Amino acid sequence: MKKLFFIIVTIGLLVGFLSCTKWIELKPQDGIVREEFWKTKEQVEAAVTGIYASMLGGTLPDYLFVWGEARADMVTPGFRATQDELDMVNLNMLATNSFTNWRPFYQTINYCNTVIELAPPVLQNDNTFSQAQLDRATGEALTIRALLYFYLVRSFGDVPLKLNATVSDQDIIPLPKSGRDSILNQIVADLKKAEPSLPLSYGNVNFDKGRVTRYTVNALLADVYLWMEKYNETVTECNKIINSGNFGLISGPNFFNEVFYEGNSNESIFELQFDVQKLNPYYFMHTPGNRRWGAANYLTEDVYGIDAVNTIPIVDWRGDKTSYRGTDFTIWKYVGADNNGTTLRSLEQSFAHWIFYRYADVLLMKAEAINQLDQPLEASRIVKTIRQRASALDFTAMDSTSKPGMTTFILEERQREFAFEGKRWYDVLRNAKRNNYAGLQILLNVASVSIPSDRQQAAFNKLRDKNSHYFPIYFYEIQTNKLLEQNPFYK
Amino acid sequence: MNNKAIVKAVSALFFCSIVYIAGCKKQDYKLSTTDDVNITGYLQKNADSFSLFKQILDRTENSAFLDAYGSYTLFAPTNSGVTIWLASVGAANVEAANLNTLKELVKFHLLADTVTTGAFKDGRLPVPTMQGQYIITGVLFKSNVSSYSVNRQALVTKSNVKVGNGIIHEIDHMLVPASLTIAKQLEGNPNYSIFVQAMKETGYYDLLNTVDPDTTKRWMTVIAESNQALADSGYGSYAALKAKYSKTGNPLNVNDSLHMYMAYHILPGIKFLGDIITSASHLTLQPQEVISTQLINQEVIVNEDLFNDILEKGVLLKRDISDNSSTNGVWHNAVAHFMVKYRKPAAVFWDLSAFTEIMKLPAYYKKQGYTFVRQNEQDRPIKDIDWEYKGASNSFLYEYSTTGTLTNFAYNYDIISISLGGPNRSAWMEFTTPVVIKGRYKVWVCYRNRAGSVRVNVVVNGELLQRPINFAEGRPGGTDAELESIGWKRYTENTTGPFTARLAGTVDIKTTERHKLRFEVPNGGGTTNSNHVDMIHFIPVDDNQLLPRFRQDGTKIYL
Repeated sequence: MKKLFFIIVTIGLLVGFLSCTKWIELKPQDGIVREEFWKTKEQVEAAVTGIYASMLGGTLPDYLFVWGEARADMVTPGFRATQDELDMVNLNMLATNSFTNWRPFYQTINYCNTVIELAPPVLQNDNTFSQAQLDRATGEALTIRALLYFYLVRSFGDVPLKLNATVSDQDIIPLPKSGRDSILNQIVADLKKAEPSLPLSYGNVNFDKGRVTRYTVNALLADVYLWMEKYNETVTECNKIINSGNFGLISGPNFFNEVFYEGNSNESIFELQFDVQKLNPYYFMHTPGNRRWGAANYLTEDVYGIDAVNTIPIVDWRGDKTSYRGTDFTIWKYVGADNNGTTLRSLEQSFAHWIFYRYADVLLMKAEAINQLDQPLEASRIVKTIRQRASALDFTAMDSTSKPGMTTFILEERQREFAFEGKRWYDVLRNAKRNNYAGLQILLNVASVSIPSDRQQAAFNKLRDKNSHYFPIYFYEIQTNKLLEQNPFYK
Repeated sequence: MNNKAIVKAVSALFFCSIVYIAGCKKQDYKLSTTDDVNITGYLQKNADSFSLFKQILDRTENSAFLDAYGSYTLFAPTNSGVTIWLASVGAANVEAANLNTLKELVKFHLLADTVTTGAFKDGRLPVPTMQGQYIITGVLFKSNVSSYSVNRQALVTKSNVKVGNGIIHEIDHMLVPASLTIAKQLEGNPNYSIFVQAMKETGYYDLLNTVDPDTTKRWMTVIAESNQALADSGYGSYAALKAKYSKTGNPLNVNDSLHMYMAYHILPGIKFLGDIITSASHLTLQPQEVISTQLINQEVIVNEDLFNDILEKGVLLKRDISDNSSTNGVWHNAVAHFMVKYRKPAAVFWDLSAFTEIMKLPAYYKKQGYTFVRQNEQDRPIKDIDWEYKGASNSFLYEYSTTGTLTNFAYNYDIISISLGGPNRSAWMEFTTPVVIKGRYKVWVCYRNRAGSVRVNVVVNGELLQRPINFAEGRPGGTDAELESIGWKRYTENTTGPFTARLAGTVDIKTTERHKLRFEVPNGGGTTNSNHVDMIHFIPVDDNQLLPRFRQDGTKIYL
């Protein structure tokens, strides 16, 4: 009997304890841990590829469009636009607006930081991994990080500057905001560091347009310098690309097909390469049946112009049926399948690339810089080459003798050239804030086009406060990071 | 097994279970669902800013009500704001202030809905305060900072604070509701003395000085003309104004032009500038007369209209001195004198295929056909033309051809083709007309007849016209006069083709503005072919109904 009691107690306790304490396996069975990764050059390569892949997924490509266009005058919200998007159009930004959630940007920034921090020790483990290969890997990571910080600094002003990797829970520490100037300086320093280690070409056109090259660094640096109002430096960077002779402008009739439909054109410098396996989100933003965003309907008349004089009318190759479809104001660049406005891409064909920089951008950045350096005539010549390729209609006069005249004209030309490429708001803001906000009126003019009439006066007075040009910090970030302070306009 | 063994086994299991239970930790359950404070709690928590307003809530016995479940918006004035207000009414502290005034004030700071700054526009908030008056909002740019302004009395210092039962906006001054009527406010302002005197003599002063307890009738909007505006038009005094308009000598008479002048400056309902510009026209107290409004270069302009291709310049409502709230409405300032315009009814020859959306497409307009597809219920491809959504395939065609028999004799060689009727096609299509001057008109529908087209009723502003139009029916033979007597006419230069005009009926157009014209297919009434419509004519009943006729090249002929 005693034996029975003993047996039952033993079994009972054993079962009881086993049920409570589970044997803990510390290593995941379906993944790989850091200690086992970062050993070979292939793994470094995989991590770098991961940076690019992370930009294709999630909401980042969506943000690139919405941040660059929603507050400006090229788009109108469609019937599927969310309340957050409508608020953005009306300049009614609140900290609860989901489009201010910068998470996808910092996620990719962390992938970059991881490569920058953990790739160097691989040199000791893999003898076939050379210093040059390491430099290239870090160079790519530095460039992408700089690109994303450049988006953040233009959109939020001051943001936390995180330069080391978050690889475990111990690394999660609250971080205060850094000033926008110090972030811009960091961007420049990173790009300068990356430049010499990056190749001019990977020997393959898909790689050359889809991975960062030295030209990507030059184009990005030019853009950053232009934002910082350092015009001589902008010209230097632009010239590096122009003098390479590796890029050209695609002629008008082929413009839509080569640059936007096929992608990776001779004009392209750096793009996000969506493909059959990784579709872009634009089908569900721009196709007529799913429209979140459409083109503003004044574009035909006031931006590209209508030729009423010639028997065979001059049509700007960049306007109707390339950037947008004039009949129903569908944004065509990302969802069109031909340049006569008839066929849309099907959902499984929706992989038009997102173009960060292309040669026309470099030319127009140079034009903008040299115009600021008091050479409007030289600037006008560059603008003319862009216009000739597009067979642009001369319905507003270009005054090549006046610097302010050319400033306006270059901004308008950028509007025509980069319609819906996520650049308009930043172009307008850059021109408005130049020389201590001497061009504030440009922002008000844009608002007078895009804001509904019963909200215009409020919007004008908001825009007069320069803090309103930057987003609020998303409320969740403020809650979880006590060192973050809400941006001044949104307190 | 004997009993003892069973007892032992049971006690062993009992022992084990005790061990397990003792080994379990007690869970610390939270009994409240949230830590969020309510409005009163928030004010208490931030006593250094809101202790005075909290005192007001306590004294008016509102604290408990604002600590209970609900959804409110509170404009919470800070202590400094309350102090300024107390000083302005000469009270030493909250206890010394008049209780009834305080009760009104608290109600004026509360909305019975949650309203974030996202809903702030140039004008009033969508919901009235609990006090009854509306609050106006805007954005003020002062010393390099923009802030939301509330009722032009306070600035928002912290916005959209979410609490358990609503939203709080912190403001730096108390909001004080208007205490005077429109009439009293204008009377108190010497710049409007002529206007006020006219108001008194025409009998409208009393109307504008009453606050109707029924809020559906209380609100009015007045567009006031200052002495300066009247002087600019040559009326330096009330006598001059009266001499010009009061032809009967008795301004109280509704047929007296001075009476009409005043009635034309009063709109029923409360209309801030933000409301005025959202609609193209507004009825006035002068029966059947409207003012038209539009936004030109961001300014609100009244009565700027195009009649017979002549642009009549409008009158500016000055923003910074308009939107003046009062207890029974709002009044605005017009920078110039304006008066009802008596216009003779004039014919409108309306080309249906000349709408803005197609005219903006230079590759199509007067070049080739184009299909407008309504992708879904919400989609409105053409602003001024709406039709019942029955699927994206049910479309609206703009047709153009100089040779095709559908359009070869049509005005401008273009028509619109619409499919109506039957279970799968739209049962109705609605057009917004050009401006038609008030008066009595005959309505002619000009179309190209085609077998298999449908029969529609024509409805103008909700009023069914006498004769349905059968788009399949052609014009019979006979002289012009014979045909007119049975409701037919030839509107094209071509005499033999299938293009014809049919009289839908006579209609009384009551106001001078844009109207709604609708084609409705009576119950089902299937159709196999599209309906091809070219023009619609509104011709005053007394005018010649047959001429002009319209040629393909866009010109008119008078024979």
